[in-house]
Amino acid sequence: MNSLERIKAAIVLDAVDRTPAVPQLFGHAATLAGVALVDYLRDGGLLARCQIEALKHYGHDVVFAFMDLSVETEAVGSILLYRENQYPDVASYVLTPGCDLSALIVPDPARAGRMPELLRAAGILRREMGDTALVAGCLAGPMTLTTQLLGIETALYLAADDPGRFEKILDFAAELAIRYGTAQIAAGAHLPIIFDPAASPAVVPPQFFRELLLPRLKRVFVAFRQAGALANWLNIAGPTEAILPYYPEAGVDIANFDYYVAPDSAQQLLPHTCLDGNIKSLSFVDAAPEEIGAAASLLVTAFAGRGGFLLSSGCEIPPEAKPENIAAMVAACRGG
Amino acid sequence: MIDPEMNKLVDTLLQGDHTGALAEAKRLRAAGVAPERIVTEGMEAAMSRLDDKCTVESFNLLEIMLVGRAVSAVANELYPEGVPLEQGRATFVIATLEGDVHDLGKNITRMVLIGKGYRVVDLGKDCPVENLVNAVQREQADAVLVSGLITPVIAQVRKVKPALAERGLGGIKVVAGGAALKQSSAEALNVDYVAETAFDGAHYLDRLVRGEI
Repeated sequence: MNSLERIKAAIVLDAVDRTPAVPQLFGHAATLAGVALVDYLRDGGLLARCQIEALKHYGHDVVFAFMDLSVETEAVGSILLYRENQYPDVASYVLTPGCDLSALIVPDPARAGRMPELLRAAGILRREMGDTALVAGCLAGPMTLTTQLLGIETALYLAADDPGRFEKILDFAAELAIRYGTAQIAAGAHLPIIFDPAASPAVVPPQFFRELLLPRLKRVFVAFRQAGALANWLNIAGPTEAILPYYPEAGVDIANFDYYVAPDSAQQLLPHTCLDGNIKSLSFVDAAPEEIGAAASLLVTAFAGRGGFLLSSGCEIPPEAKPENIAAMVAACRGG
Repeated sequence: MIDPEMNKLVDTLLQGDHTGALAEAKRLRAAGVAPERIVTEGMEAAMSRLDDKCTVESFNLLEIMLVGRAVSAVANELYPEGVPLEQGRATFVIATLEGDVHDLGKNITRMVLIGKGYRVVDLGKDCPVENLVNAVQREQADAVLVSGLITPVIAQVRKVKPALAERGLGGIKVVAGGAALKQSSAEALNVDYVAETAFDGAHYLDRLVRGEI
């Protein structure tokens, strides 16, 4: 089995020759290559080269066309603050609670901000990888993008104070996700992963997820499937036990679970869905390789009976992670 | 038991109705109720109920922010210049350290502590350790709280206790919290306590103030 075949089998809970390794390596690929993060995040060619080098170095099963969760808000008009070796922060949000929403236009991914560079990265990765490894695009989910357009405190207060207006912005964010995600598929990504950390029950109650976010996620995933996505992958970190049961209704084929959720619990809540997780991301920075290897082996064993598992971190592996820790995680998939 | 006179204030606070809570606090003041009573029997009672509801498994920012906003509105009405030092309530200095501009966790913790009647000095985000230590000295703080969402800030967190010790403030307790920091341990961060949630951190500080730590 090659990497893509292995992941495809895992998605439908079929037998695999070994557990697929999908460490969430984004900015770490730049660190590994000795490239400044700020350059990696703005140059699709450089991003693709670093991802391919990381894949060759660690021997895992996926490459990510992913910059950061500020790409979309920047494309709409927010001003970002870039630093040499950190992800950018929003210095000035494009939306305010009272602004004119009728003027909002979904940006063209071929032209707006860094989106064209991200699409270029997806295209290069697919040309280089073909169908040997999974080429994953990435984007911010509707809730996260809404918080990135307004600022998280403003967005959450707006949700309470003016739900109608909040939902209009949420709908705009969902439309943007559809356009950007389908552009990623057209550029070569096998699928776009939706990252929606602001949809976590740590941020909003499960009822909020069910009533406001689930319908939008469903709409986005339907569009991705129609556009030819290999599968629908949802990544929400934090204590997600209360919302995992809604994932099948959203059309999720691969569900991320973080270290807060026990593997047994994730399997019970989503018995027919492929799961990816859940090594604590900070441990890749401060633990020893033996500890990572042991944690990874436990996870591989926990899913041995059921299958449908991609070994991963619960959240992004920090750029400054120790390479030997990532290697230890990948080795666990090979029984090492 | 909540004093019936405070029922409406507690209810509006818990509903996150900041305009209703503010109106009720003004009504109580006009009726001659002392600010201290509104804090202890109104704000603290509401925070205690929220605390009971917010377990680690059931803790979300939205609900706490709404209650926190209402509590802050009432606190600002009662003490427009901030809680005076001479009230004898414990003082805590809180900041998001240099290199991290994500301050939502800090803001929520500040609101929870204000709701519990503490005096909180908020140094904002991207705060140098030196400013933090200066504030501890100036404000005669009883403890320091630092919040961090991203891992690069960990190096700054580790500097806080040595910087306090250099000024003869080595006995001041340091509490860390936030998505990145809570994945680590107190030992690894060189702090006294790592809080899982804002309420968890507040419980630690309650014990500290009661002399149990």
